[in-house]
Amino acid sequence: MYELFIAIRHLRSRRRQTILSILGIGLAVMILMVSQASMVGFTEELYKKTVDNMPHVTVEPKSDEDYIYLYRGLADDIREIKGVTGASPVLSGPATFAYKDTSRNVLMRGVLVKEHNTVLHTERDIIEGNFRDLEVTRRSVILGDSLSEKLDVKVGDTVDATFPEAKPTTLKVVGIYDSGTPHDKTLAYVPLSTAQHFFDNSNVVNSILVRVEDPDCAQPIADEIGAMGYQASSWMETNPEILQTLMIEGLSNFIILGMIIVIASFSMVSTLFMVVMEKTKEIGMLMAMGVPSRSILTIFLLESGIMGLIGPVVGVLAGILISLYLGDITMDIGEEAYGGVSTFPFVVRTKDAVMIVTFTFLLNLVAGIFPARRATRLDPVEAISSE
Amino acid sequence: MSKENIIQITDLTKVYGDGVKIKALDNVNLTIGRGEFMAIVGPSGSGKSTLLNMIGILDTPTSGTITLDRVDITKASEKERSKMRNQKLGFIFQYHHLLPDFNAVENVMMPLLINGIKPSNARAKAHTMLKEVGLGERVNHRPKQLSGGENQRVAIARALANSPDIVIGDELTGNLDSGTSEKIYELLRKLNREHDQTFILVTHDERMAEKTERIIRLVDGKITEDKST
Repeated sequence: MYELFIAIRHLRSRRRQTILSILGIGLAVMILMVSQASMVGFTEELYKKTVDNMPHVTVEPKSDEDYIYLYRGLADDIREIKGVTGASPVLSGPATFAYKDTSRNVLMRGVLVKEHNTVLHTERDIIEGNFRDLEVTRRSVILGDSLSEKLDVKVGDTVDATFPEAKPTTLKVVGIYDSGTPHDKTLAYVPLSTAQHFFDNSNVVNSILVRVEDPDCAQPIADEIGAMGYQASSWMETNPEILQTLMIEGLSNFIILGMIIVIASFSMVSTLFMVVMEKTKEIGMLMAMGVPSRSILTIFLLESGIMGLIGPVVGVLAGILISLYLGDITMDIGEEAYGGVSTFPFVVRTKDAVMIVTFTFLLNLVAGIFPARRATRLDPVEAISSE
Repeated sequence: MSKENIIQITDLTKVYGDGVKIKALDNVNLTIGRGEFMAIVGPSGSGKSTLLNMIGILDTPTSGTITLDRVDITKASEKERSKMRNQKLGFIFQYHHLLPDFNAVENVMMPLLINGIKPSNARAKAHTMLKEVGLGERVNHRPKQLSGGENQRVAIARALANSPDIVIGDELTGNLDSGTSEKIYELLRKLNREHDQTFILVTHDERMAEKTERIIRLVDGKITEDKST
């Protein structure tokens, strides 16, 4: 393998340019690696804050009906679908809560505690009282922390629930939750039977909330439920802004960083063009010694390949070290922006590192073809006599 | 001459230029035997380097044929031509054209490595060759660290490394002082006698040419004289 022998010697004899080229590529890759790690961390955090706290699929009544009847059977059928991890029938509607002189309009949501726990983490957000008390105490309610402050109620107090055409009732506050989302101001959980009694609609619900194993696969599952005749929408449809945020972030990242890498590769190509020009006489001599043009091509591709491999590997390693060193990023942005994401970690994934190295290596190899082919097209007589 | 023919050149013509045509070689016919030690002389522009490049398979003729060891090289593929350059031919140029990034022994190894010989064997052979040209002590020096005469010796060792049938020298002493030139010539003559290889040397130095066995004189792309000395 004399081609490798020659390629390595060429690189070593021009140590400074070689190191600069490798550093150029390495630096670009390092920036890409750090940025990718922050992007992955941000995405994970955004998912945790938003997608993880919302039903992945929301099933609503058939288009010509107001309610879902026989919801128990339907919920069982949905649970049978591959990839579904939970289904919770709910009956939601507007209500006015009053305590002493204060009243607030709320969204009352009747839930079955066990089923609800398979879909949402409300229980995790409870800061006072107990979510499971909804199950044991009839006419009970759990309020968001903002709502409870506005009404000035504490656990153990009772609020009056009224609404036109609803059956007025009193509800005992058994818990307060803080989800960190706008729900805290308006959403109140009651037992499903209480909601059905309040809205005077026993044995119906108006939606079934579904959780799936992989949130990215929510759409096909929503389509499958839709095929049963119900209106089913995935979280991508109900909250398109989450994906838009990720896509815009990801795309702008990709374009800017991709360009940095292309520029770095260009500098490597120009270095190689210089090598070809400097070594013209030598290439002619190699041809005279019987090196076929295929091997001349190999020599220069090896040179770009070696630089294009060492550069990204060094860059990725540096990027990983920097990501680990930086740890968490905390941004002081409004709670509403980006679904309330304010702190996110750098997440280094092996697949990102492998992908970045592979991509940069191939890019350099392809870019290296141009100077390498130039070398093979030299005329040996002219090359040898060139000055 | 009773020697077996190694090179057979028939009606060889080379025309350069797209607009104004220059006939560098004009219907040249030449037969060279195995083991000959010969010189091609002529004024500059007479076509001697062109002829040498043709024999060295570095250039292709406009018309005519060249047969090296019974193979018509004008019809050979690029791969065959490379292989023949490596195995059948050895080149020595006016400026040694050694690879500057490699030391003497590595330069001599190069044709052997290209020929697919194992690096350890190639190194051993290169050492032997360098000893033969009198450079056994300077094998690890790079071209920059060697004198002109020494570099030319390395170039000779390199040209002979694969034991080629034909060794080609293009003004190979043109860059050296007369004393060194003399020594290089003596060395080539010795190697020629020992290895029975064909040496074709292009030179404009008549005195040097006189030391060969045969002189071909080219003028305006034509052979005007072919004499044995």
